[in-house]
Amino acid sequence: MSVSNLLENWSQVRHAHPVDDKPHDPYKWAMAIDLDACTGCNACSVACFAENNIPVVGKERFQHGQQMHWMRVERYWDEDGREFPDQGFQFLPMMCQHCEAAPCETVCPVAATNHTADGLNSQIYNRCIGSRYCSANCPFKVRYFNWYDYPTDEMVWPAEMTQQMNPDVSVRSKGVMEKCTFCVQRLSAAKVTAKGEGRIVREGEVQTACQQACPTGAISFGNLVNPESRVHKQWEAQQVDLVKDKQEKDESDEKAVLRGYRILEELRAYPSVMYLERVRESAV
Amino acid sequence: MIDSGFDRRDFLKVLGWSGAAVALSGCGNTSIEDGKETVVSYVEANDYMIPGIGVYFNSTCAQCDAGCSINGRVREGRVLKLEGNPDSAINKGKLCALGQAGVQHHYNPDRVREPLLRNGSKGETITWEKAYALIAEKLSGVQGEEIAFLSGGVSGHLKALLGNYLESLGTKNHFVYEAVAPGVTRAANVKAYGVDMPRYRFDKAQVVLSFGADFLGSWVSPVHFSQQYAQFRKGVNGQRGVLIQVESKMTLTGANADRWLAVKPGTEGVLALGIINALGMATGDVAELVKGYDKARVSHETGVSPGQIDKIAALLKLRSPSLVLAGSAAEGYAHGSQNAAAINLLNQVLGNVGKTIEAPVSVPFPQMAPSKGNTAALKLLNDGLAAGKYKVLFNFAANPVFTAPGAFKFKDHLSKAGFKVAFAHYLDETALQADLVLPLDSALEDWGTQVPEYMTEGAQINIQQPLMERLHANTRGMGDILLNLIKQKKADEYKGFEDYYAYLRGAMLQNKGALGGGGTDDDTFWNTTLTQGIVKLAGTAGALSAHVGAAGLTLPAHAAADEQYPLHLIPGVTANLRDGRHTNQPWLQESPDPLTTIVWDSWVEVHPKKATELGIVEGDIVEVTSKTGSVKAQVYLFPGIHPEAISIPVGRGHDAMGRYARGYGVNPFQIMDAVFERETGELAMHETRVNIKKTGQRVLVVKDEGSAGALQMGRKIAARVSTDQVDLSKEV
Amino acid sequence: MYRFLRFPILLVGLFLAVSSFAANNPQPALTTEDALGPQVVQPIEFPHNRHAGLRNPADPTNSDPLKGGMEINCQYCHTYARRSAVAGIPPLQKCIGCHQSIESVRNKPRIVELFKYWDAKKAVPWKKVHDLPDFVRFNHERHIKRFVEQQDRPVQEACGYCHGDVKEMTVARRQKPLSMGWCATCHEKDHPVVAEGGTPIAGQAYWYSFQKPVAQDKSAVVKAKGPNDCWQCHK
Repeated sequence: MSVSNLLENWSQVRHAHPVDDKPHDPYKWAMAIDLDACTGCNACSVACFAENNIPVVGKERFQHGQQMHWMRVERYWDEDGREFPDQGFQFLPMMCQHCEAAPCETVCPVAATNHTADGLNSQIYNRCIGSRYCSANCPFKVRYFNWYDYPTDEMVWPAEMTQQMNPDVSVRSKGVMEKCTFCVQRLSAAKVTAKGEGRIVREGEVQTACQQACPTGAISFGNLVNPESRVHKQWEAQQVDLVKDKQEKDESDEKAVLRGYRILEELRAYPSVMYLERVRESAV
Repeated sequence: MIDSGFDRRDFLKVLGWSGAAVALSGCGNTSIEDGKETVVSYVEANDYMIPGIGVYFNSTCAQCDAGCSINGRVREGRVLKLEGNPDSAINKGKLCALGQAGVQHHYNPDRVREPLLRNGSKGETITWEKAYALIAEKLSGVQGEEIAFLSGGVSGHLKALLGNYLESLGTKNHFVYEAVAPGVTRAANVKAYGVDMPRYRFDKAQVVLSFGADFLGSWVSPVHFSQQYAQFRKGVNGQRGVLIQVESKMTLTGANADRWLAVKPGTEGVLALGIINALGMATGDVAELVKGYDKARVSHETGVSPGQIDKIAALLKLRSPSLVLAGSAAEGYAHGSQNAAAINLLNQVLGNVGKTIEAPVSVPFPQMAPSKGNTAALKLLNDGLAAGKYKVLFNFAANPVFTAPGAFKFKDHLSKAGFKVAFAHYLDETALQADLVLPLDSALEDWGTQVPEYMTEGAQINIQQPLMERLHANTRGMGDILLNLIKQKKADEYKGFEDYYAYLRGAMLQNKGALGGGGTDDDTFWNTTLTQGIVKLAGTAGALSAHVGAAGLTLPAHAAADEQYPLHLIPGVTANLRDGRHTNQPWLQESPDPLTTIVWDSWVEVHPKKATELGIVEGDIVEVTSKTGSVKAQVYLFPGIHPEAISIPVGRGHDAMGRYARGYGVNPFQIMDAVFERETGELAMHETRVNIKKTGQRVLVVKDEGSAGALQMGRKIAARVSTDQVDLSKEV
Repeated sequence: MYRFLRFPILLVGLFLAVSSFAANNPQPALTTEDALGPQVVQPIEFPHNRHAGLRNPADPTNSDPLKGGMEINCQYCHTYARRSAVAGIPPLQKCIGCHQSIESVRNKPRIVELFKYWDAKKAVPWKKVHDLPDFVRFNHERHIKRFVEQQDRPVQEACGYCHGDVKEMTVARRQKPLSMGWCATCHEKDHPVVAEGGTPIAGQAYWYSFQKPVAQDKSAVVKAKGPNDCWQCHK
């Protein structure tokens, strides 16, 4: 393939999919996060630590930007120079967006990060050589690198604490990249059960750890191609289309009445996470 | 369902350490390694125990006393994760960050593992027999009034047993102390509604006006309230609930408000009366009372603009029912009760009582109802200690050496107690002062019952049961210890109970009928109870009083600022760290504070305007000095605080407890003055005045937000829309 | 010091990478022959042949314990395999369940050893024989469902795909490479999912309808590959 040919067909190359004639059948895992319900309490983040064997790096390493929280709650405030943040803060739970055309995947020199048939952005630890290109190319900065061998670090995982580790999730050693997996171990278990019974995973049968913990139910997660799923209904109601990089509703002249959006959609990464804008009362 | 006739603990035995070993070797092992690892099987196994498949046991979260039911995932004999129990009316399957971290309490490497007896400055390991004998020896010949028992909030059968023990010792000195308890709220509620903890219906309210109640963070029952909050926000037919938060230091709840109002510290009551005035709905003595609180005056005193007061009044009139809350921030002053009374009055004027404030239900067993921890108890104890009244002091689930205000000089007074026994999980600051330290089981190893103070739909008794076998052979459950101690006094009465489990089971079975198990046999009832982890009861409904009145309500005139100590110190109570008893759980240390995103350290919140005035920038180490003492900490420029106040979060600054707590941050309790709320005698936590001075040192603040602060640079990252631009009625 | 070497090395590396790609050489054949793992010393030398081996045809009553096995189904002891991702090791209780009433071998050294563990209520520290790397998620349940329950293959055959001919062994020993390439040889095969005449093969058709059919000949046999994305087997 010549370079010009490659460039001409770039979008096709990027969108090549394991089941290209039947994209995302029977599963396409996706999420919707209601920022109006999110209170920024961090329950999701800690649940993620508990579920996914995420190391606690400690103060010094945190200072160096080596924190590992796959699920982080970002906080923003108004930029208009008002004296007090009198409309509150903005919280944003941020994790791997499992982009359909993930920028991280194309730059991995060893194909350690791939797209699965279920529309997940996978990270294969034993294949990863730690080039960190993926992290550099991720617009959301949700990939975390193991700078140290945390499993052998007495401060991170003393012997007693290792008993808490989830055996369904690999413990990552030094030199590999990691990130949110949409709790693939739970998806995998649910799929095996469903497969054994000759059906697909039902709505509500599988929850991610963050979704399960969220006290306000701000996170919904499920199978986007299942019309029964809450996620499907939410995406539909908000008129957000997975395969578009510019939604029709945003182009129309009508006053926006829907609050669904995807972050940095214009980068054509096609994220699998839709956010619902935070709402603020206009009467006070 | 669990079979009767076998000991649960046997069945929770560790299947194999291989599980942990497997997880640990991680990616280092890339080849097949036959014969290197050991795989240990169960000796005996029940049908439901299948290697590789998690079994879920219901129990109760013990990280705070809200009483959320948990569902612990157990695999190969180890508890891996705590999830919410969907059947609980309190948390409905959800669990907060603090609750999730419960496993780190259980697996904490710094737990006390052996009974320790003081030998000089060291602790010497002794046997339990010796420890019990020693307690008996020290108690012999000691009068009842010379014995004191300090505890955190206790409930359920443990409370009953503790009560019996104290009775057998002939002492009435039970001090129930919680450093961050809603002590004033309870007293004010009794005055306003006739009950100390009514049921708040956020889900029914169209407007919530909260004066410093951090109900999404750390106030009363945050997981339950968060769920109601979600319903309140969804509203009916797209009519979304409106949250207005009034406080001097932004809390997590404030950060989620539609309108956050920074009032001058202590003037919450004035604003409440100003709103009543603006509403124009009051009659009789209430109208008389609020007459003087016209907008100009209220605005001048509180710093809230007259236009804003009008808007709030208009909204409250338009959307009914609403819910007005008086939280810890409004009540942390010497006139806290008056503030709360003014705020509760607003509820009555708006006619919310009976609509969004409902009568609570309580468990029909008063001896099991929670003993309500407060700070007034600590003062009594402290005075008693100072006078050298106590020869024997027991301490359980409280860490007053860390949480008592510096002005109490608690540690000095504690040394005057003759013999100090601490029942402890960690060697925390208070346990370190003890003569005898008795190691406790973690909540995931122990039996118990818990009755939450805040009930939701119907009353419930929560069951706590072991999720796995003891991690350390020589820790004991508090119930077992108490039972052993009480047997020293009343051997005959308690000889039928081999251990606390037997006591608990016996006590529950005795009341089987009242607990909804009438007609079933004992084993079925008991097994059902353990399986469900909750006993739901109809409960006894309390009655709300309809009294509306303003008698005795006077708010102090605005005091002039103290020149030497011009700033208010607001101790920040965060959802994750609370009073600091869980600081040694690393997930909580590394989980960023939601508002500042700071981790692993304390900070001083200073308003940017004030900082400019003082020439302070982020990361400057400042010395915060009060009448009582001073601490040094890094500054974080925080717009969510009134310029006349600064805030330091509580919970950090331990100099003991464990590797994840010791040496991180500062403890603002140390510089707290001993000022008390006038009516209840509770500690007025917000009354300490301070000044701040630059020390010249500067550090990099370790935080999660990037160097650009919290800016979106014009991109649509965390987007916001106002209600007039969005149609919520068609949402899923 | 060797800075000047970096660029040439990079070039050489690139050349090698590109040329190996361009040449499109077939990969070296994946190991499929039966390799033999190391002999693992177990705390009790468990004789699989005695339990699962075929009966001695010359002695239908199986009266001579030294000859022939008892043809016990693998799943009688390894019950967890069909219910869980991991096969686990049967609880000690299971061994004792039978052996407490088999007086004839009660005094054999291995059985004496077994009862020692039982009396002390101590677990036997068995060594893992088929020890996959920790980042691999292999699901026993799924494979047994497919081969034994849905396609009705004999248990020993199905288990034997990966575990080899255990009924011939005393202490189990690895017979297959259990490498990723070896797993893939099976997952990459085109498996018939709809048989001749269009009859779906038990439990398969529904699932493989989601896969891209690789071949469909005139006899209406539909073939598809096994699951092949990375996260299927990596965790």
